[in-house]
Amino acid sequence: MKSDSDNFLEIKRHEMKMQQKKYELKQQVFVMQQQIKQRQEDKLFYMSLVCHLSGIHLEKVMQMKESLSTVFQSQSNSIKSQNPSSGYASFSKFSNGYVSNLDKKVFWSCGSRLFSSSQEAVTCDGLTVDGIVANDWLILDESESDWKSHASAIAQSICLIKKRLKWKKLKVRLEMLSYQVEKPDLWDDPVHAGKISREHGSLMGKMKEVNGLEQELIEHIDMIKLAREENDPDLESESVKALLRMRQNVKEKELEALLAGEHDSCSCYIEVQAGAGGTESMDWAGMVMQMYKSWAQRRGYGVTVVDEMCGEIAGIKRATVRVDGEYAYGYAKAEVGAHRLVRISPFDSAKRRHTSFAAVAVTPILGDGSHHVQINESDLKIERYRSGGAGGQHANVTDSAVRLTHIPTGITAACQNQRSQHQNKASAMAVLQSRLDQREMARQAQMNAQYSESLTDNSWGNQIRSYVLHPYRMVKDLRTSYESSDPDSVLEGEINDFILSFLTDSMDKENDEE
Amino acid sequence: MNLTSLVRTSHITRTFTHSIKPISSSSSVSLSHTPTSLNPKPKTPLYLKPPIYTTSLSSLKKFQKWAKTLSSSVNASFKDSSNLHQELNWLLQDSLQNPNILQTHEENDNLVALRLKLDDLYDLWTQRIEKRRPFQYIVGCEHWRDLILSVEEGVLIPRPETELIVDLVNDVIKGGGENGDLGNGLWVDLGTGSGAIAIGIGRVLGDLGRVVGVDLSDVAVRVASYNVERYNLQDKISIKQGSWFEPLSEFKGQVAGLVSNPPYIPSGHIDGLQPEVGRHEPILALDGGDDGMSDLLHICNGAASMLKSGGFLAFETNGEDHCRFLFDHMETIHKESFCNLKIVPDFAGIQRFVTGFRS
Ligand SMILES: C[S@@+](CC[C@H](N)C(=O)[O-])C[C@H]1O[C@@H](n2cnc3c(N)ncnc32)[C@H](O)[C@@H]1O
Repeated sequence: MKSDSDNFLEIKRHEMKMQQKKYELKQQVFVMQQQIKQRQEDKLFYMSLVCHLSGIHLEKVMQMKESLSTVFQSQSNSIKSQNPSSGYASFSKFSNGYVSNLDKKVFWSCGSRLFSSSQEAVTCDGLTVDGIVANDWLILDESESDWKSHASAIAQSICLIKKRLKWKKLKVRLEMLSYQVEKPDLWDDPVHAGKISREHGSLMGKMKEVNGLEQELIEHIDMIKLAREENDPDLESESVKALLRMRQNVKEKELEALLAGEHDSCSCYIEVQAGAGGTESMDWAGMVMQMYKSWAQRRGYGVTVVDEMCGEIAGIKRATVRVDGEYAYGYAKAEVGAHRLVRISPFDSAKRRHTSFAAVAVTPILGDGSHHVQINESDLKIERYRSGGAGGQHANVTDSAVRLTHIPTGITAACQNQRSQHQNKASAMAVLQSRLDQREMARQAQMNAQYSESLTDNSWGNQIRSYVLHPYRMVKDLRTSYESSDPDSVLEGEINDFILSFLTDSMDKENDEE
Repeated sequence: MNLTSLVRTSHITRTFTHSIKPISSSSSVSLSHTPTSLNPKPKTPLYLKPPIYTTSLSSLKKFQKWAKTLSSSVNASFKDSSNLHQELNWLLQDSLQNPNILQTHEENDNLVALRLKLDDLYDLWTQRIEKRRPFQYIVGCEHWRDLILSVEEGVLIPRPETELIVDLVNDVIKGGGENGDLGNGLWVDLGTGSGAIAIGIGRVLGDLGRVVGVDLSDVAVRVASYNVERYNLQDKISIKQGSWFEPLSEFKGQVAGLVSNPPYIPSGHIDGLQPEVGRHEPILALDGGDDGMSDLLHICNGAASMLKSGGFLAFETNGEDHCRFLFDHMETIHKESFCNLKIVPDFAGIQRFVTGFRS
């Protein structure tokens, strides 16, 4: 037997769903229009969009938008946010199949089929995630068991995550990739196909994850409302607890979303180079390298020295370490630039204050099959260094360091930590590959000016952090103004906070500018 | 002759044993003898020994500190020419079941598992520093290309330069072309030592390709056979004992490729060699006669009759002078036999190899 309130709820829910569908339809058009406007310069996209729409005139789309907005004028007031957050995946079907039949009846009859796969999460009384954010409910401490506060915190986190993932761009890109993935001739070029389908999979995963979070939030809220209506305090407190768990979980996801760049999850090389100033700055470069080694070890990353040129008296002239582990590149890329040290030099008998610099460069190690550059063996100059004398049977040395020079670009890479020359060469080759890949990415980025600066290797011109040991003690990041008064622990590898504050800052700033 | 049956039946054919280096193999008398208990099993490399010993982390750190101090006490020329810091790391890497524990900054009494007694570690490092015993003999292995080869006193430690011979062979095989299917033919490595080149080539040959490694030295034959087995290549590679071409008479004219890194150091240079080499490595593997060319010339002269038409050959030499001499020699004396001769430098830029084809 259904109670009145059940029936009421059902009707209400149905009403909401209808309203939601109209809203989504409006959003489809909005998104389309936005994307077209936004991407008109982007030739690649535009081209694909054009063939994607397979012959539909933009005007028609505009017209359609016009007519729809009049039809739904009345509803649009009740929906505050115009932020389109779902439904874009059905764009293609919509634009190809149904436009010409744009007649209210036909449209509605196929409406549910159209949008069923991409419904925005909404509670039975019409609350959406964006709606929750717009409500601006007071966020209390986690310990306060207040569902609105939890829900508001979660909704804001979800918004932040979307912002960090560049949600709009992500959806456009995903749409384009989905189109390419379905092309029957995709695998004619297996390398390209591999790239496309990998990226498609990864973006799809992100999309699903966020949609899942929205869905989960809405379900918890529905549960709580239901529990209240049913007067079931156990269910209510269970659901509030679930909401709290979600709140904590989503906080972590916020951090993960900072590392959503294409190569962020890769392992990487960190290279440190001493600036001018002899032993003092070589010592400083050595300290910086040690800082990264300890940091990486604490994070559980594998650390291998690939190439190291020691200073005569102390420290290093330069060194490259390979850092293996998930998100090594995503984090370490925050360290690219010049690091400045001010202290009384232990190498100066007059005990004067010195300022020295060390430059840090970071390159991602792309997986097989995602390289941007193909290295020709014949373009390489291969040298054994640190060897002298007659060699061959005359010498028994365990050092078989190899240096490679890529003649067309002049880029070099060296390796000496391996136990055979063959493997030193292979290892140097991997470094060279990653440097060439990065160079190529930077070149492409300049062409479509969409990559962040972190990819340019102009580390000297870009002073990012200053470490003062005298006359006061302070480490300060010049980009974020984040600081620490405990240089010792920073130099022992406690740099996570510096990294996170930079990533948060740059990511959130960058996306605000959009 | 069927190559497969050759390799299977004559696993180690002892056709020649000699305690002194023969002046010229043709004048020597073959002495056949069967392997006896006089020939102990080859030594297991340290990194393959079972980790049955233990010590505390702090004792191990103490050893490490001691070893570092000892290495910094050596004279400057030794320090410059060597890589003691790395060698110590590698020694520990090979000795420990779990080398990562050394990365912790703690010093405690937790037990760590070792592949040798702590005392032996002290001993070995003392030998390295004071006796200049080569690092590779200490750990019982040499990393060469992507291989880890067992080595011990009595067999030459393969050099990094020599790795390139395998690359040269690989290029020829992969290049294919007018010389037919060299990758599925019979290859010969003269003076195989630890078996390095033979194994390297064995791993780039096609399914039907076979390698015969030849060495005069007892120890070399044993160590090379052991390495072949460790890489499970006994169906592909056979090791024969004897002097140069002597154990190969049955293959005259059938060989697809012949490579060698024979002894090439001029006798007069032996005394001045780096202690690791001169005091510890076998003279049989180093001394190439007055000008260092005797074995190279002997092999060069015999190569023509071994190789089939289109067959490849590559020799390692002492450097530019040897390369030039050999090149000219082959171009004039053996004008009819060889073609496409080349001198190839090593990665240090020294002209190191002579390569060519049988006309
Ligand atoms: C320089 S070592 C090369 C070893 C090995 N091929 C390598 O590259 O590491 C020369 C080898 O030739 C061997 N040898 C010297 N005289 C020989 C002879 N008359 N017949 C066969 N092998 C000989 C030595 O025992 C030694 O193993």
